[in-house]
Amino acid sequence: MKKQSVFSRLTNPKYIMVYATIGIFLIIYAFGAFLYGDKGFMTVRTFVNLFIDNAYFGISAVGMTMVLITGGIDLSVGAVASLTGMFIAYGTSVLNLHPLTCIFAALVMGVSLGLLMGWVIHYLKVPAFITTLTGMFFARGVCSLISRESIDIKHEFIDSLASWKIYLMKYVDGNWVRIKPIAFINFNVILFVIMIIIGTFILQKTRFGRNIYAIGGNEQSASLMGLPVGRTKILVYGFNGLCSVLAGISYALYVKSGWNLSLQGGELEVITCAVIGGTLLTGGVGYMIGTLFGVLLKSVIPALITFNGNLLSWWGKIATGLLLLLFICIQRFVVTSSKLKKA
Amino acid sequence: MQNVLEMKGISIEFPGVKALDNVDFSLRAGEIHSLLGENGAGKSTLIKCLTGVNRKDSGKIFLDGHEINPTDPGNAIDLGISTVFQEVNLCPNLSVAENIFAGRQPMKHGGINWREINSRASELMSRFHLDIDVTRPLSYYSTAIQQMTSIARAVDIQAKILILDEPTSSLDENEVQLLFDVMRDLRSQGMGIIFITHFLDQIYAVSDRMTILRNGHLIGTYNIDELTKFELVTKMVGKDMDVIFNLKRAEVADDSEFMLKAEHIGNASTINDISVSIKKGELLGFAGLLGSGRTETAQMLFGVNRISHGNITLEDHEIILKQPFDAIKFRIAFCPEDRKRDGIIGDLSIRENIMLAVQSREGFMKPMSHQEQVTLANKYIKLLGIATPDCEKKAGELSGGNQQKVILARWMAAEPKVLILDEPTRGIDIGAKAEIQRLMLEMCGSGVSVIFISSELDEIIRCSNRIVIMRDRAKVAEVDGANCTQNDILKIIAEGAA
Amino acid sequence: MRKNLNLSSIMQSKVTWAVIAEMLILLVCFAIRPDFFSISYQPSTGMLYGSLIDIVNRSAEITIISMGMTLVIALGGTDLSVGALVAVAGAIALKFLRWDVLEYTTPGDYSVCPYILVLTVPLIICALMGLFNGFLVAKGGIQPIIATLILMVCGRGVAQILTDGKQFTTGYSPFRVIGQGSFLYLPMPIIITIVVVVAVALFTRKTAFGAFVESVGVNPSASRLSGIKADQVILIVFLLTGLLSGIAGLIYSSRIMSNDSNNAGLNFEMDAILAVVIGGTNMSGGKFSIIGTLVGSLIIRTIVTFVYYFGIVAEATMAFKALIIAVVIVLQSAPVREYFAKRAAKRVKVSGGVQA
Repeated sequence: MKKQSVFSRLTNPKYIMVYATIGIFLIIYAFGAFLYGDKGFMTVRTFVNLFIDNAYFGISAVGMTMVLITGGIDLSVGAVASLTGMFIAYGTSVLNLHPLTCIFAALVMGVSLGLLMGWVIHYLKVPAFITTLTGMFFARGVCSLISRESIDIKHEFIDSLASWKIYLMKYVDGNWVRIKPIAFINFNVILFVIMIIIGTFILQKTRFGRNIYAIGGNEQSASLMGLPVGRTKILVYGFNGLCSVLAGISYALYVKSGWNLSLQGGELEVITCAVIGGTLLTGGVGYMIGTLFGVLLKSVIPALITFNGNLLSWWGKIATGLLLLLFICIQRFVVTSSKLKKA
Repeated sequence: MQNVLEMKGISIEFPGVKALDNVDFSLRAGEIHSLLGENGAGKSTLIKCLTGVNRKDSGKIFLDGHEINPTDPGNAIDLGISTVFQEVNLCPNLSVAENIFAGRQPMKHGGINWREINSRASELMSRFHLDIDVTRPLSYYSTAIQQMTSIARAVDIQAKILILDEPTSSLDENEVQLLFDVMRDLRSQGMGIIFITHFLDQIYAVSDRMTILRNGHLIGTYNIDELTKFELVTKMVGKDMDVIFNLKRAEVADDSEFMLKAEHIGNASTINDISVSIKKGELLGFAGLLGSGRTETAQMLFGVNRISHGNITLEDHEIILKQPFDAIKFRIAFCPEDRKRDGIIGDLSIRENIMLAVQSREGFMKPMSHQEQVTLANKYIKLLGIATPDCEKKAGELSGGNQQKVILARWMAAEPKVLILDEPTRGIDIGAKAEIQRLMLEMCGSGVSVIFISSELDEIIRCSNRIVIMRDRAKVAEVDGANCTQNDILKIIAEGAA
Repeated sequence: MRKNLNLSSIMQSKVTWAVIAEMLILLVCFAIRPDFFSISYQPSTGMLYGSLIDIVNRSAEITIISMGMTLVIALGGTDLSVGALVAVAGAIALKFLRWDVLEYTTPGDYSVCPYILVLTVPLIICALMGLFNGFLVAKGGIQPIIATLILMVCGRGVAQILTDGKQFTTGYSPFRVIGQGSFLYLPMPIIITIVVVVAVALFTRKTAFGAFVESVGVNPSASRLSGIKADQVILIVFLLTGLLSGIAGLIYSSRIMSNDSNNAGLNFEMDAILAVVIGGTNMSGGKFSIIGTLVGSLIIRTIVTFVYYFGIVAEATMAFKALIIAVVIVLQSAPVREYFAKRAAKRVKVSGGVQA
């Protein structure tokens, strides 16, 4: 057997996109540090805030990455997350239910909607785009059916969960003191990181995860190889439903309210995160670590605009668009050059 | 010997077609059993029935004496039936190692044991004398290695029955021999192997028995020494092969003018420098191995690959080809090698497929009327004997041979001066093959210059006036078609210029 | 024209199912409101009124966009940027109408720039943006869904920056005509829709362009080798879709006499894609049907009307829209159609009918 050096393992062409994401993130971060280092861009707090402000996108992106790797797409995530917020808000404020009951109901709703969509996609052969679009309309409609107004979430359980935080400390003169400016991680950040770890484990260490890649590579082949294509696809959409609900909980903790129009267009933000994280929309390629950096990369741009203070926030959208363009060009380049090598 | 597999009275009906009609088949443990028949005879359908891809309408399957009903390929694998399907059926994005172990990865501590997967895969591939990095994605490697990978997967499953459906199509001679060694090895271990191939020599080289199908019917099962090659072909085709052996080469006068001349053409990425010329009404054969530069030359003459130097003249006028459209304007036509990917437009009707080249030459602003299209299509359906109820049938639903005829019709309708055919007879049955060769020669007779690329030397020698021999992306020789033998050409291909 | 029009092939056609669905919804509407089909003439505005007119009128933007989307989908792609282009067109038009405005003022019946610029520049810009999409797809070889995601993400940003993030209103009466005027007793958007639908139908079916689009959609490589300039076809289709989005954008902003970069054209891409798919064009490309798309677009709008009539609160429209669309899509799905086609074929056989 040929011994594999660490170097040759790391230079495997399949990792190029992940390197590109990490590289561009570092470049933009360095750029920010150069311009606004004196205003505090380099602090731990700024970095941790990238996680805090975008945890809900990140959590949803974990499920979305899996869906995209199978070659599918899920447009319902924003609406399902929004509906989760409505469940919690309406349940606690109007029906006087315990938040955990509401969360449980939301989980059942999200996962079963996901499984149902997966079933329709696989067995009725309706394109994923159309199926999940219908799912999105449905979830949004139910949101509006519950309430058109924004409902505040007032419940001590939610309050305590939302305000629970771990302060980052450093060791000075024999004492642990809070670092300055004060930085902390909260429940959302932990949930985000845990989901990324779970996602990585599923994708890299389980047969289910590898089947996801196989289906994305060539669904017909996967089925001829005897892999459980239908079951895997349905479960992936179910898992993504779970991620949407968790993202919805995280968002509810973040804004402490439920609103029928919240997270509109969120699905595309999530897809954008995955794409700039190196996931191919054609399926078969993508890594959780790439998605993690995709989320960070997408969130560092608004941070830069905030630090600048003069730019309209709209520039953020344009910058994200340009970033997408850049990544798509890199992907094209990688695909073409790997083909040339083969020839 | 004991039968490991027995299929009795299998019938499968597709809409409008009886794909299999009461077919019996048996396989002994420790034998290599060839399954033969033309395209559409039902070989693949029988295999798909056995592997659970298609459901049978009637009949019974017994494995080791127990009745089985495979529901899907996964189920078939569990039952002990492992298959290499006709086209590479692996996932290009997964590593070679993973393709071999997908769905049955060894586990350790609740997770996949990658180390074991990679080391076992390396071992397996080295059995085929392939020392490659098995952690790279499959798409990184050539088709031959991909095919070997799928064979390695099927072999490693350690099934009772191994099915190999056209496994040798993209392998070279050495690789085929390696595969045969592995097959013999498995046979001696008591595995039953079903082997499907179009290459008659390979059948005689490796199998013990053979079963012949024709039009969904069982013709018979024979020991390998019971039938000669000629008898075998006659049984497969069901009619005499005189057609093939009665073809007459096109007649070209020595002083007839040149139709197309390419002088020292080439580009950086494919072929550096090649000169070919073809006379009016001549048939120029291109011989050489896959990858020797035959297809690349054709692509340059058709404007698919742009030339960076050299010039091409058509009837003494220099022409510049930037894209296929230009070539079509100059009445050059090209039937590509990969029919499915580059030729047929499956979802469109036969009518639309046939009118396409004519229409694209005229541009979309000068459309043909529906009636004109129908007339054109029906003319060629009749002329080429395309088997279809009418011209509105989807081209993708036709058999391989008929699809090839539709593509040929597309180019005949464009009334070419030069017709380039890249492997037009690959993967189609002998009857259709003979017909396509006859058509080629008829075109020559009507003054069209035909460039004919093929891997099968006998058909090249049978039809060509002159033969260009390619090797390592260069032209190494040009021989007279009437005065050469297969051995002459093989020698040049193997050793370089004569 | 076609000889093989037997029951089985009709039952297999998605367009048939779309028409049946539309009929059923209309019939239920009629059952609830017997005056549903009535159309009256209002002399004061010179326009016809009625539920049917209203449905067609309000579906104008989606119908117009979905004409372009049909071709994009027939090519095997999707254009996500159309909604953003609607916002861009509105922003440019209003910018030209109210170039003088630095802050909010009561709009008068005037335009700062010549009216011809107000109409043409948005269309040209949108067409160019469409061309940009087409360029990425044709020359860059990028998947359409990703290529158009770029403009979808930053298109609204562009619209906001063009108008400095402000919302203008106008009172210019020639501009009002586009969305609220009338011609030949019909609301202007209906007239524009008819012109667009007829133009696209003629362009695709009376030339060979439609066949080229279908060919490239099914097999780009084979189409190129048959001499079709696939790049040219792709560029034209995306340019056309951009242009049509611009027209829809003008209608939309004329209806509200304002620009609304946040909400103009929101989810239009989704509705347009849905209209095309309900209309029987496969998302994987190939054969397309202009009539089917028209019916698809009408279905979507009729459902909204239907839901109002059913007395369901307006906010729940989306949910019921989803349910009805789900039914239509499930009925259209391949396995279900095959099932019905088989049954139809059997019935023909039993009754002794002849099949080709």
